[in-house]
Amino acid sequence: MPALDIVRSGIGGLDDILNGGIPRGNVILVEGSIGVGKTTLGVEFVYRGAAEFDEPGVIVLFEVSPDKIIRDAKGFGWDLEQLQKQGRLKIVFTTREVLRQELQQADSVLLEEAAKMGARRIFIDGVSRLVGNDATVESRSAFHVLTEGLQREDLTAVLAVEASKLNGNGNGSLPEESIADTVIRLAMYDENRAVSRSIEIVKSRGHDYQMGRHSFRIMDGKGLQVYRRVQAPRKPSRDRAAAFDPTTRLTTGIPGLDELVNGGYFVGSTTVVAGISGVGKSVMGLQLLNEGVRKGERGLMLSLDEQVDQILRNARSIGIDFRPAIEKGLLRIEYEPPQEIEVDAHFHHIEELVETFKPKRVLFDSLSTYGSSLGTKGRLFRDFFHALVSLMKEHQIVAVYNHENPEMLGMATMMGSFAMSSLVDNIILLNWVELGDSFRLGMNVAKMRANPVIRITRECEITSKGMHILPRELPGTTAPFSRYNALVSRAPERRLLPEPPPGGKGRRR
Amino acid sequence: MVRTPCDLDLLLFLRRHPQTLLTSEQLAAFVGYPMKEVAESLDLFIASGLLERIQNPMHAARMYLLNMDHPQGGGPRRLLDVASSRMGRQSAIRALRSERPSNEAKSPRDKTQDKLHLVRIA
Repeated sequence: MPALDIVRSGIGGLDDILNGGIPRGNVILVEGSIGVGKTTLGVEFVYRGAAEFDEPGVIVLFEVSPDKIIRDAKGFGWDLEQLQKQGRLKIVFTTREVLRQELQQADSVLLEEAAKMGARRIFIDGVSRLVGNDATVESRSAFHVLTEGLQREDLTAVLAVEASKLNGNGNGSLPEESIADTVIRLAMYDENRAVSRSIEIVKSRGHDYQMGRHSFRIMDGKGLQVYRRVQAPRKPSRDRAAAFDPTTRLTTGIPGLDELVNGGYFVGSTTVVAGISGVGKSVMGLQLLNEGVRKGERGLMLSLDEQVDQILRNARSIGIDFRPAIEKGLLRIEYEPPQEIEVDAHFHHIEELVETFKPKRVLFDSLSTYGSSLGTKGRLFRDFFHALVSLMKEHQIVAVYNHENPEMLGMATMMGSFAMSSLVDNIILLNWVELGDSFRLGMNVAKMRANPVIRITRECEITSKGMHILPRELPGTTAPFSRYNALVSRAPERRLLPEPPPGGKGRRR
Repeated sequence: MVRTPCDLDLLLFLRRHPQTLLTSEQLAAFVGYPMKEVAESLDLFIASGLLERIQNPMHAARMYLLNMDHPQGGGPRRLLDVASSRMGRQSAIRALRSERPSNEAKSPRDKTQDKLHLVRIA
């Protein structure tokens, strides 16, 4: 059996969800409401074919004049005029009536012109009124005649059809769908007053594809960019990588912490640092990255909470100057505002960063901001986190996620409403402990998967040199944590020790 | 080469739609002139090599391919550049009409100005 001849669309991300492309000769129906991006998709399909795959193409327009299409394409960086001059593209203006008559004739002037230039692709914009807007037998047969005419010439055709009733949830179907080989449904949906675009492969004959509603954007200077939905399965290697390397560890950069975590975090492990705002989670993260920089390992920080300059200032306040590391390409700090995060696009960006920059350490600041942006009730947030964890494991990255736990003193739960601790390998809790008139900082290693854990609450301190773990016995008169019971229970009690023997040295209480 | 307002408007339409597949009636409707006038303009451009017409005698529609890179295209291209604005088109049309016998009512001063303008742009 000959190998399937697949046509790559060349549209960013679209071929990924089509598992490579579309079988040659398929008639592709692109349906959606006004302004959703049907014309852009069709024009880009023909443009990429002519410009990148040596497949000349034809664009057929009914209402938009070709000079406007050429002008708009310039905004995406596509020089259609040049392609026309080179004979690799024809933009033909006609009427629906003429096209319908043309395609009913075996010797169509249009298709003859297409054949003369060796066209392999065609885009017809606005097919709906060509075939009628209803589900009558006549409109179906008109569409059938159209597809037969295109198939005669072995053209891979994109036909844009307006379907306003499919907006939103995309329920319903058009009569043309049963005749077309591939149906791509574009939609706009609004959520919390923001509008996003989605793309769904409803059907595609002759090959496998990734089902579900993916996201896409129309970007200046580029065109369409499709983002696979975050829940869609990735490469099998990503899931296989979940069994992390049980020998290699990366040190934490916090003096005293490595002893508590058996020498450092395993590569490919997922660590959550939980604690209330201001407790020192970001400080810990900055030190983790700085430790990597010191060892020549690439680090990446993804911040939703603070902008890059603010993070650099915070780092300076604990004696860390990240600028040389950034200039050397050892460290990247990325900030994305948490409002209106489009999860598929955001995940795609992280995937690209990980695959191109290849960091060994990644810090997310913070998981709770993702939660408030995506919502923790439904599956989306959990699916997103699961995809992140798999990505980091595949690339054997030490990933640390800061998580704001709302409780000020003590902790009733490790991750609050974020029911995801099962996905996490290590959990470190940072608590304020109120002793006398002071808040002191406590740290517990609550979970270390596949590791022995010493569950002792240790005291930490943050100074101008960063965070360090204090020894269990403190010099001077301050009573160490080891002198207290129930430190994380919100009501610690001083442990009563036996009186020293007469004449013996006094003990602190 | 451009003698009448119909010539100009047809050329403007064809520049916006350099590859069109239309019936004669549809083309005349889009350009906004009687079919006879449009046919004369088409014949002119085809004869000059600026325009190619592809037709199948069995079909009502014809494919028109404009070739502004033709050696004859230099003058019309400059004229079209000016006539692509509303003011420019109006000036060009006034100048073209002033050449026609039906425009005798126009003042000699207007005619001179229109002619001068057309000379400048073409």
